[in-house]
Amino acid sequence: MSELLSKLAECIEFGKINMASPYPPQMKGQEGADEITRKALDEGVNPQDILSKGLMPGMERIGIKFRENKVFVPQVLMSAKAMSTAMLHLKPHFLSGAAKQKGTFIIGTVLGDLHDIGKNLVGMMVEGNGYKVIDLGTDVSSDKFIAALKENPNAVIGLSALLTTTMVNMEKITREIKEALPGTLVTIGGAPVNNDFCMKIGADNYSPDPQGVVEFLNTKIA
Amino acid sequence: MIHNYQFNFQELDISKNEISELLGFNGEEMPEPFGSYLEEACQDAARLCDIRGAVYISENIEFISNNSAFTIDGQFFDAGKLISRQLKKATSLALFICTAGEGISKKSQALLHGDDPAKGYVYDVLGSITVETAMDKIQRQLREELSATGEKLTNRYSPGYCDWSVAHQHKLFSFFPENHCGISVNSSALMHPIKSVSGVIGIGKEVKFNKYHCEMCTSETCIYRNLRSRAEKIF
Ligand code: B12
Repeated sequence: MSELLSKLAECIEFGKINMASPYPPQMKGQEGADEITRKALDEGVNPQDILSKGLMPGMERIGIKFRENKVFVPQVLMSAKAMSTAMLHLKPHFLSGAAKQKGTFIIGTVLGDLHDIGKNLVGMMVEGNGYKVIDLGTDVSSDKFIAALKENPNAVIGLSALLTTTMVNMEKITREIKEALPGTLVTIGGAPVNNDFCMKIGADNYSPDPQGVVEFLNTKIA
Repeated sequence: MIHNYQFNFQELDISKNEISELLGFNGEEMPEPFGSYLEEACQDAARLCDIRGAVYISENIEFISNNSAFTIDGQFFDAGKLISRQLKKATSLALFICTAGEGISKKSQALLHGDDPAKGYVYDVLGSITVETAMDKIQRQLREELSATGEKLTNRYSPGYCDWSVAHQHKLFSFFPENHCGISVNSSALMHPIKSVSGVIGIGKEVKFNKYHCEMCTSETCIYRNLRSRAEKIF
């Protein structure tokens, strides 16, 4: 079993989706996350172990490499795709309660802003590290965040913005979320955002990269 | 006076190497499926892009506040010292807007949220390069038009860079008719379509084009930082 899981972790780390996928070149013709997850389930491996001992370690490794500029966005997206392919097999087990995610993360790009890719990357990385992720999209108002929080009590909020003019909307949204549901944790990010700004607006965490959010969530929730 | 430009994707002649570099494949050959994704995106771009730009040139300009700001037709632009100083020898200023159109972002978004995010990212990066390359071409055309008079151009400078606030987008757009080139600005100063740029270029006999203008910027994360080839293409 441990061999299958470490093979699975490798597929996630290197973005090997399935047998047919030519990527990465060094794994051409080999089984990918799709086949190995299926095989592990068929062999009776516990779905929770598939998630936490196969998929998550792979995702963590790619997150760290991305932070260290050893890989770039394309490689991370291949890993995320391998991850989501594996997750399709696990979905029924989440629904039945046989496997559990660590908590819920609600992410959106703030009101006035339409930038998408950074936010998506963060969402994918957090999901790949064992959380349920709800992506509210772009141009998201406080009301939408609050409504999603009410449906998912104790979820952590992630706010993204890419312009200094939309970054200012983070302040109002953070305040309104915390007024409506005190104790909610808010983590922020995006190109113009920094730690000083995070402190100033009363958010709980700033990370320059997705792995930082994962680490924050792991210390606060898991 | 407003000069209008329109290009088709092919005539921009975007180099695959440059795209590959921006995707993060530095010098090395792009592994599959990225090579095929890029081929497909370039083919598709001809249909998806609506590449338009416009330039408004005015001689009615003044540098003020110890060269940290300027006015164009009496409108005040507080662009900051770094940018204004690069422009201060100009005898006219050109405001520009340019877009790659909405189609390429729509396609990119559908893929990013659908079943092929990596392909979606290739389209996204292609959209960014398209608008920047179109501006390179506009700048080259302007330079050629002006060469007879002995006038030269500075680099282009945009709101949101080097202490020039993005909030000034509204002022810049007030020089163009509403929705010109299909570009609009929302109340947060964000342009729609997303793959759009705006800014100013200095024109004059004494101005300089700075090949190493990345060096005056302090951003450590900018993906254009090492792309020196950009400046060389315009110059
Ligand atoms: C490519 C690019 C463009 C392209 C495409 C834009 C697009 N969005 O599609 C083009 C050329 C069109 C463009 C135009 C402009 N741009 Co631009 N652009 C960039 C650039 C170089 C990369 C953006 C990108 O795609 N990054 C890749 C993604 C994956 O990264 P990301 O979104 O930042 O997300 C990462 C992190 O930020 C973080 N993150 C993101 N969200 C969150 C959320 C949480 C919770 C956490 C923890 C982390 C996190 O994790 C992600 C993964 O690492 C950045 C500089 C940079 N290096 O970031 C400037 C940048 C975003 N642009 C900038 C500006 C100013 C502009 C313009 C206003 C310039 C102009 N006047 O023309 C226009 C605006 C366009 C518009 N529609 O209004 C500024 C914005 C800052 C500011 N001053 O407001 C930047 C930061 C450059 C700078 N000056 O330093 N741009």
